[in-house]
Amino acid sequence: MRGYFAFLRGAMLVGVVYRLGFLFTILGNIVYMIIAYFLWRSIYAGKEILNGLTFDQALLYIALGSTIFILLKTYTDWGMAEEIRSGTISVYLTKPIDYQLYNLFSTIGFASTSILTVTLPTIFMLFFVFRIPFVLGAGYLFFPVSLLLAFIINFNMDYAIGLSAFYTESIWGISTTKEIIVSVLSGALLPLQFFPAAVQQVLMVLPFQAMFFTPLMMVTKPDQNAGVFLQMLAVQALWAAVTYVASRLLYNQAIKVLRVAGG
Amino acid sequence: MLTLGEYIRLYFLIEAQYIKGQMQYRADFLISSVGMFFSSLATLSIFVVLFNSIPDLAGWSLMEMVFIYAFYMIAISPMQILFDAVWFLRYKIQSGEFVKYYFRPMNIMFYFMSERFDLKGLTQLAAGIALLAYSSIRLGLVWPVGKVLILILAVFSASLVLISIAVMAGSSAFWVVNSYPVLALAWKVREFAPYPITIFDGIFRFAFTFILPIGFIAFYPAQFFLRPAEISPLFYLAPLIGIGLFALTYKVWDLGVNSWTGTGS
Amino acid sequence: MTLIHIQGLSKHFKILNRHEGLKGAVRDLFSGDYRTVQAVDGISLDIEPGEIVGYIGPNGAGKSTTIKMMTGILKPSAGVLQVNGLVPYDNRIRQAMIMGVVFGQRTQLWWDLPVIESFKILKEIYKVDQKMFDEHLGMFHELVGLKALYSQQARTLSLGQRMLCDITASFLHNPQVVFLDEPTIGLDVSIKAKIRSLILELNRTRNTTIILTTHDLGDVEALCRRIIIIDKGKILYDGDIKKVNALFGAYRTLKLQIKDYSEATLAALQDRLTGTFGAGHGITIAQTEDCWTDVTIDQARTPLADVLAFIMTNFTVEDVRIVEISMENVVRKIYDGALK
Repeated sequence: MRGYFAFLRGAMLVGVVYRLGFLFTILGNIVYMIIAYFLWRSIYAGKEILNGLTFDQALLYIALGSTIFILLKTYTDWGMAEEIRSGTISVYLTKPIDYQLYNLFSTIGFASTSILTVTLPTIFMLFFVFRIPFVLGAGYLFFPVSLLLAFIINFNMDYAIGLSAFYTESIWGISTTKEIIVSVLSGALLPLQFFPAAVQQVLMVLPFQAMFFTPLMMVTKPDQNAGVFLQMLAVQALWAAVTYVASRLLYNQAIKVLRVAGG
Repeated sequence: MLTLGEYIRLYFLIEAQYIKGQMQYRADFLISSVGMFFSSLATLSIFVVLFNSIPDLAGWSLMEMVFIYAFYMIAISPMQILFDAVWFLRYKIQSGEFVKYYFRPMNIMFYFMSERFDLKGLTQLAAGIALLAYSSIRLGLVWPVGKVLILILAVFSASLVLISIAVMAGSSAFWVVNSYPVLALAWKVREFAPYPITIFDGIFRFAFTFILPIGFIAFYPAQFFLRPAEISPLFYLAPLIGIGLFALTYKVWDLGVNSWTGTGS
Repeated sequence: MTLIHIQGLSKHFKILNRHEGLKGAVRDLFSGDYRTVQAVDGISLDIEPGEIVGYIGPNGAGKSTTIKMMTGILKPSAGVLQVNGLVPYDNRIRQAMIMGVVFGQRTQLWWDLPVIESFKILKEIYKVDQKMFDEHLGMFHELVGLKALYSQQARTLSLGQRMLCDITASFLHNPQVVFLDEPTIGLDVSIKAKIRSLILELNRTRNTTIILTTHDLGDVEALCRRIIIIDKGKILYDGDIKKVNALFGAYRTLKLQIKDYSEATLAALQDRLTGTFGAGHGITIAQTEDCWTDVTIDQARTPLADVLAFIMTNFTVEDVRIVEISMENVVRKIYDGALK
């Protein structure tokens, strides 16, 4: 396990090394929040409540959602595709490390820099610049766990998409399609409450809501009872397990291609 | 030295070969086109869902928003198709491979951009045209020849703005190596182009009109066709802003090309 | 007329001082801690048309910086630099018309295109007329038999094949000067020989000036009449290759793995070699990082066989290799006064 933490630290180092790029990530998020603020203000157009969400809650949801988007966008699939295409993947196969765990820890390392530079400043801005009233609630306690589970689900999906590089020349198409499907169906761009009731019911049984909607609801409506949150976490954990098993199976299939075709 | 005509001929020669080469990855092309199609639909579906809960957005109806969005899709296609290489600049710079572009007796931006021709962008262009036609029928717009010409000029100006933003952001790679965050920022801000600029107040409306002119990408041009009575005089500035911005972008690129020293010894 | 004229040419870079570790990386985010590196430090040289010049030196010596200035990529910090009477940096496109450049590690062919299509594109870029184009390709075919490769995509070629095609491409427009950067790196002996004879032939038939940067002293021996050695941005030697040839021709390095090696072994070896072969034995000993001991011998003074025999009888040697002197060692020898 210690070895895997070295990957985590290594990836964090890479994240910090490009200095100006870093400042731009922060700047980018500030611009995004300003735009989101105005857009949602005109969507509410003076209304107190839309689909059960106040303006403050909607803004919190959307702005925090965009930081989770940055957090989850770790390019694992792209990195893997590159390793598969160039054949360097065989190096990992000869070492006593698990390729999926190796990738998971590198990815967490990469993402932890965005927690410091994007997620935390965003939360700070929301409460101190945009003056969103802070509602005390248990949701905040469950939020980190929920975020981690969302991260793992997303990682498993990215991992599976990365594996598709065994079959196609470029993963752009698959990766983009996944990202689009996730961003629409997970509630990343629009809270699921805005969808028609029938659609909502379908979306709630898909894995995508566990990646954005669930963690975001914990912060948007933190003052619910702990049982509700535990149930939400249970659903997320279930999806994390399902996607993990699915990606493992896919790996076992894909690796056969490598064995047959050669490195 | 090559003349403009020779550059154009060369471009067709290179792209014809490039497309032939890409055709080996046919499955890839199909999947990418599907991806492109979905990504165009995403914003649209968000509009549709959103308008379930609200009657209009800052006074604009759903179909008007679709029209603006369709205009945006068309305007972004030239950037997507012809300037896709901008996303790869940072890799070429990181690896030092960029050095090769200096060795040929041609314009470096031309040489660099000519190396990619993004076929999947054609899907987006087609989808944009179809949507524009659909929404203008639903809105009962009429298209005399003069208006079509203005549309073409408006698309051209908007395209230049989009190309400029992307190339300028990509050029940051000459100084910061990893230009991705800068490109990602530009890309993200651009996503807001299909929203009415009137949602912004005071200094922000000014900023998105003059400093980061995303208003010129879709909103001001579309306004001319949708509600000519409300048209802002700014619309007529669009070609100037497009050309001026591109000239500035070219300067920045050139500065980058001249200041880049190459990695290693 | 002189083709390349360089007088007091310098180039310095500002480089950010990076700090170690995660803390250091965060500190670097806001640091303004720069140092200046003199990559090229006041060099002067003239190159005549038709010369083949070996431009060599260890890594980081300033070779590529000089080449980048000569090709118009980098602006010199100081000094005069003219190629064909023009300043390369101010006339990049015009200069590119009369230059060819080949990099050993990366191709300039269009990656996904069949080789012949790359050639055709180059024909348009350099405005080579059809007759000359056909003539050139015919000549290259005679020299190396490339035709079979023309229909293949550049990315499917082996490194050696790609190199041959890259060299062909760089000569298509009949340039006045061609820069070859490590043209034989990573290639096997037979293809190396092929590339060397191609270069010689092109130089002979067309009087093309060739500037060769390489780590492979074999390339230099086979191709160059003149050699320029650069280190730390300064020219160490500029002149006939014969004189330098004696240096790397006469020297050989014995790489030894000595059993139960310790610091004391090295000292003992030193002492006993001096004891046996006398003070002017011309033998230097160095320890490399991977527990090999390098014994470099000047064969003009002490026969290699004698040294080897002596060591084998007096020490327990587990493994031994004989290698030609490295670029780094040539440079060290020159510093030590070997050319004086």
